[in-house]
Amino acid sequence: MLWLYLHFPHLLLDHLARSQETPAAMVTVASTSQQVLQVCPLAQQQGVQAGMRLKTALALTPELGIVHTNSTREAELLEQQACWLYHYAAQIVLYPPEGLLLEASSLLRLYRTLPALWQTLENALASRRLTAWLACGITPKAARLLARQNLGQCSDDHTLLAAQVQELPLPATGLETRPLERLARLGLTRLGEVAALPPRELARRLAPETLAHIQQILGQRPDPQHCWQPPHRFQQRVDFMQEVEQSQGLLFPLQPLLNELEEDLLWRQEDTDRLQLTLHHRDHSQQALSIRTAGPEHRASAFVELVRLHLERQPLPAPVIAMTLTVTRFLPRGTTISRDLLGENEDPKEAWQTLISRLQARLGRGALRQLEPQADHRPEKAWTTAGLQPQRRKPPVTQNPPPRPLWLLPSPQPLQQPPQTWLSGPERISSGWWDGERVQRDYYSALLTSGQLAWVYRDDQGHWFVHGWFG
Amino acid sequence: MSYAELTCFSNFTFLTGASHPHELAERALALGYQALAITDECSVAGMPRAWAALRDSPVKLVTGSYFELASRDDGPPVRFVVLARNRLGYGQLCQLITQGRRQASKGSYHLSGDDLEQHPLDHCLCLWHAPHPREADFKSSLATGRWLQAHFSQGFWITATRTLEAGEESHLERIRNLASNLRCAIVATGQVHMHSRDCQPLQDVLTALRHNTTVEQAGHRLFQNGERYLRPLAVLERLYPETWRQESLRIAERCDFNPDILKEEYRYPANLVPPGYGASQYLQHLTREGEQRRFPDGTPPAIQALIRKELALIAELEYEHYFLTIHDIVRFARSRHILCQGRGSAANSAVCYCLGITEVDPRQVDLLFERFISRDRGEPPDIDVDFEHERREEVIQYIYQRYGRDHAALAATVIRYRPRSAIRDVGKALGFDPILVEQFLNGIDWRDTESNWRQQILDKNLTRNRRIADQFFKLVQRILGFPRHLSQHVGGFVISAGPLAELVPVENAAMAERTVIQWDKDDLESLGLMKVDVLALGMLSAIRKALALISARRGAPVTLQDIEREDPKVYDMLQSGDSIGVFQVESRAQMNMLPRLRPACYYDLVIQVAIVRPGPIQGDMVHPYLKRRACPEAVTYPNDDIRQVLERTLGVPIFQEQAIKLAMVAAGFSAGQADRLRRAMAAWKSDGDLTPFRGALIEGMLARGHSEAFAERLYKQICGFGGYGFPESHAASFALLVYVSAWLKHYHAPAFYCGLLNSQPMGFYSPSQLVQDARRHQVTVLPVDVNHSDWDHVLESINLENTTLESTNLEDTNDSLRLGLRLVKGLCREAGRRIGQQRPESGYRSTTDLRQRAELSQRDLEALAGAGALASLSSNRHQAYWQLLEHQLAPGLLLGTTGADDHPTPPVPLPVPNEGQNLLADYHSLGLSLRRHPLALLREQGHLKHCLNAEQLLAVEPGRPVQVAGLVTGRQRPGSAAGVTFVTLEDETGNINVVVWLATARRQRKPLLTARLLHVKGILEREGDIIHIMAGKLNDLSHLIENLNVQSRDFQ
Repeated sequence: MLWLYLHFPHLLLDHLARSQETPAAMVTVASTSQQVLQVCPLAQQQGVQAGMRLKTALALTPELGIVHTNSTREAELLEQQACWLYHYAAQIVLYPPEGLLLEASSLLRLYRTLPALWQTLENALASRRLTAWLACGITPKAARLLARQNLGQCSDDHTLLAAQVQELPLPATGLETRPLERLARLGLTRLGEVAALPPRELARRLAPETLAHIQQILGQRPDPQHCWQPPHRFQQRVDFMQEVEQSQGLLFPLQPLLNELEEDLLWRQEDTDRLQLTLHHRDHSQQALSIRTAGPEHRASAFVELVRLHLERQPLPAPVIAMTLTVTRFLPRGTTISRDLLGENEDPKEAWQTLISRLQARLGRGALRQLEPQADHRPEKAWTTAGLQPQRRKPPVTQNPPPRPLWLLPSPQPLQQPPQTWLSGPERISSGWWDGERVQRDYYSALLTSGQLAWVYRDDQGHWFVHGWFG
Repeated sequence: MSYAELTCFSNFTFLTGASHPHELAERALALGYQALAITDECSVAGMPRAWAALRDSPVKLVTGSYFELASRDDGPPVRFVVLARNRLGYGQLCQLITQGRRQASKGSYHLSGDDLEQHPLDHCLCLWHAPHPREADFKSSLATGRWLQAHFSQGFWITATRTLEAGEESHLERIRNLASNLRCAIVATGQVHMHSRDCQPLQDVLTALRHNTTVEQAGHRLFQNGERYLRPLAVLERLYPETWRQESLRIAERCDFNPDILKEEYRYPANLVPPGYGASQYLQHLTREGEQRRFPDGTPPAIQALIRKELALIAELEYEHYFLTIHDIVRFARSRHILCQGRGSAANSAVCYCLGITEVDPRQVDLLFERFISRDRGEPPDIDVDFEHERREEVIQYIYQRYGRDHAALAATVIRYRPRSAIRDVGKALGFDPILVEQFLNGIDWRDTESNWRQQILDKNLTRNRRIADQFFKLVQRILGFPRHLSQHVGGFVISAGPLAELVPVENAAMAERTVIQWDKDDLESLGLMKVDVLALGMLSAIRKALALISARRGAPVTLQDIEREDPKVYDMLQSGDSIGVFQVESRAQMNMLPRLRPACYYDLVIQVAIVRPGPIQGDMVHPYLKRRACPEAVTYPNDDIRQVLERTLGVPIFQEQAIKLAMVAAGFSAGQADRLRRAMAAWKSDGDLTPFRGALIEGMLARGHSEAFAERLYKQICGFGGYGFPESHAASFALLVYVSAWLKHYHAPAFYCGLLNSQPMGFYSPSQLVQDARRHQVTVLPVDVNHSDWDHVLESINLENTTLESTNLEDTNDSLRLGLRLVKGLCREAGRRIGQQRPESGYRSTTDLRQRAELSQRDLEALAGAGALASLSSNRHQAYWQLLEHQLAPGLLLGTTGADDHPTPPVPLPVPNEGQNLLADYHSLGLSLRRHPLALLREQGHLKHCLNAEQLLAVEPGRPVQVAGLVTGRQRPGSAAGVTFVTLEDETGNINVVVWLATARRQRKPLLTARLLHVKGILEREGDIIHIMAGKLNDLSHLIENLNVQSRDFQ
């Protein structure tokens, strides 16, 4: 058997770099520690290395972009790579967070020579601007360990590959810390030296699992693998290092996703008639755009035009930090389908979404709102028309709201005449310095000469305004 | 018309009050208030500061505290302010606070209705903050009011506050109703949270932080407006009916507690004085006893006179109990053989010398006691006592047991906002991304101007809003120096005759069984209370251990007193910069100063200790001093007064005391002004500022006929001291320990290093560096070995036949230093001790023998094998370890079988450890190695061609280009040397000092910051014996020593 392993040394960073027009130095950091994990090539050039303290890295590269690792995101991302790799190889094993293993023996029949296969993969990686270290091995573990050390050679010579494994330094063998420490204390440095010791003695002195691990590397013990099954849908995500504020700014990073989709559809020999584009925001809830084509389609160029039109009509409600393109509906080439406005053949939740997005598409996004109270002392900020999805992280609203007129004017109007009678007040409101919309006002309720019961205030300049009407 | 504000929170109600106590006090004065009550929540921590500001002013300070009692029936908490009517009431208030604080964990309090009922408060007044109608109905509010009123029969009011917020009218209506039902008066209060309305943004930020949220998300938890400030009387007149305002004045009049009374009635425990003696008499008696011990041949007349003068001054100021207390603590330490040494303003007196508090001999130094206790300043004497760091806890326990927990507690340290924490917290409140804030903090240049700051904030994307960037900067500036919480002082004890909790509230500290009072050392000082500092000092442990070793060798006790003073050979050693391990003068900067200053007597050491500090360096005093030392006759003084202050330091102010005294004699400062200057200097690094004194200082000097240049120079020098000046009274005590440790190093090197190594961690150098230094001083160091080592390092006699040392006059250089098992990483202390205790005469025969006799675990044995400590039992550490591992799977099978090691399993082909591997393993498990230095190995392998070692550099002419290489053992970027990085390299012959200028550092950040083995091309510079390499090209050679575990000490 021959195995081929792809190790992505900085997958998350490659992924982020795809959406950047000018590359920037970036590293990943675990959210719990201050240690640098992955380093992009640009940061490497400036001396940043994996394992460094973040403080040191920042001293070397003050403008360093810092990305927090997130195992779910990374697992999704790895699967995203498996999806396209599936076009080349049927037996793929996922090694999250950063590796993919291919069974290569069967592929050799297809590609005839190993260099041909190797080159095909290299090209596919290069077109996606991804860095991966490839390595062949006679066992899955051997291929993996060699790839992680970037020691891979394009060779299917079993003798050479076996010798390469023997030379592996022990810390690179994937053993636990404890057995590693013990082996080091025995003066052993390479896998070959350990392999030369009598296995029984070794198992007695180290844990049996340690021996098993070593034997699996060497191919002396079976190491069953579980192949990955591709999902029946297309989904790709792009994350932005810098938030995108203009909808036009989404088109550039969208292009590779659509290319990927076209390639996928070609490979499936299928078309689609609806794309789902989800925009993720930092504080806002995410926004789903449902985009329908006039008929079954697979060309990226056609999709991009549609999306462009769609986005032009939709100003962004908030800066976008990530975007997902999803296709779940695949049609055999050449089918036509009837159009149903409410989407009766969809599930109700999806139908609701479709209705909303259609109404929004027709009426404009701002047309659909719902009312909500908001904890803020400023009357004009004490309520809000939120989007349709409830917002996250709201400050609690007090149980006893202060007396406020039911009818609050959209904007305060100058008071024309002195009121006839002052009924209550002043209530002083001074708040909101933090968002540049500070108010400093004394409110009164008063009966105007017109007989209306008004809520009036005087601002810090001494000007009088009507802000609302009581019943 | 006037007014008394009776509910006012300072920033000692943490994350609530937005003004310092003194700001509130000053504003109340400016507005013409008749009185101001500082009523922090369950605390009187802000009171001393407000008192310092109001002591001699027409505004009366009322002392009180605000409480919230947990309600009994799910209703709102019962909120009220308790005001102290008199000293008794103040004591009751403190007791109540103490009870609330002691019942809760650090930083919080808990009081129930029962607590209040059981607590006498008959000398206090109560101001009830009745709940709002939306919180509670009339009936239950009335019941609460009745209950509270019953407890404060002496004085009970309902407060009414008008802040113009929504719902105020119904609340006032409720208050009127309650008052008429309870037949009590209503008093106007302001619920003050800040001194000025401008502080509202900060108050909002504090509220958000208290609720762990951002201002934007804080919603209705923020106040609706900024009316909770000290409002002008005209405004109050409009808002409150006159009766309510009058009531505030009436209440203030009834409160007659004057904090100064605390000082007058504050007493030290009297039980220190045996019956039949007065305190003064007893102190005299003890001093006399000490005199006989100190001066067996009779006290010299000059000293007698000095003692009489000091005793008279102590009696006049009634400080006897203070001295007796310190004497008692020191006496206890002596009885337990705990080494200690006093320092500070009163410590270096003839009386303290006689009492054994200090070893600084009054004959040896001409330290005037009066310089330390000032009659007119009225400040309390300050004595810090250092104890061996490993045994200080015994002393603390003694104090608790001797005086009782009700009479002794630690002083507090107020933890304040520093630039970093201020930026972090304000950033948090404004909702900035925490990662970006951290990044901003890492890249920040603290010396930047305000506009650059704003630019940095915008550049780092913390916010896009320019106005918020400005706001952020202002808020950070404002919050700097704000108290965050109370922590325990490192060792400052307050001891009192009466229950401490009647003097000041006591609360829980983070450490179990520790309690702290609510005041810090400045508060204590301003109220005239005394504290005793019980501090820990590692060097005292090392000295005591070294003396014990020497005593054991001699067969007779050797003490500090037996060490011969002013030995020129000791000074010779110091002058050559040979000071690794010596107290205080071992740092790189000190080591470079030694050959320049060339200390030749005790007082030179006092100066040496004080001069290598940021204060004198920033005030530019080092070079003038060194220049004058070269020709002292050229020094002139403007007048005799100044001569008196500066003569002992050749006209250059070096000590903090001199800076203060100068302000008095050169600028005519009064004692009070000088005292304020001293406090400002102490606080300067956090929030103090010397600019207010500039005018007075300069004008004072000009008026006294000094030139403007002189005045400016002096002002600059005084500024240099701000916060960083070292007091002479402390330097004097430290200098003694410098001398003692240097003497030990010179005459008893093995004992000296052994004592140091057994007291680790302490000092500036790692065990590895100390051992290398020991070997360079011809001390034979023997490896860790289970058949020779104990847990601690010990001295062994060398077989004299093999000795080739020319050690005729040095008595115990024949001893060699045997490294102890304490160096072995992963070995537990008990196991290490058992190895020494259970070892048979003939030594352990095998690892099995060792395992059984010393009852070692597999883990212990593995640690020992890894450290090479089984060398006498096995051929090499790899084989030893292989055999050890055999046992780990079935230890049960081997119990009872002896000599299993005599039939080992067939040998396996393990590599024989080479020198490099052994070296790495040594560093890995011991942190040091006695084998050849890694640099020697690399040099032999031809890796370091053209590199000179530290010894060879001594022969190079200055100005020559050289190449050096070494392990990086230190990187420092001192604030006093703009942008320069000092790197210390270690090779097999010693240390090499490398200087990297800012431009060089910027170009070569990577090798500078990350290399563990560094190669440097540079120019050699030399001043006397001090050699520096001015770095040009830096090269990272770390790959040559991969996995070599040498820690660099980074100070960045």
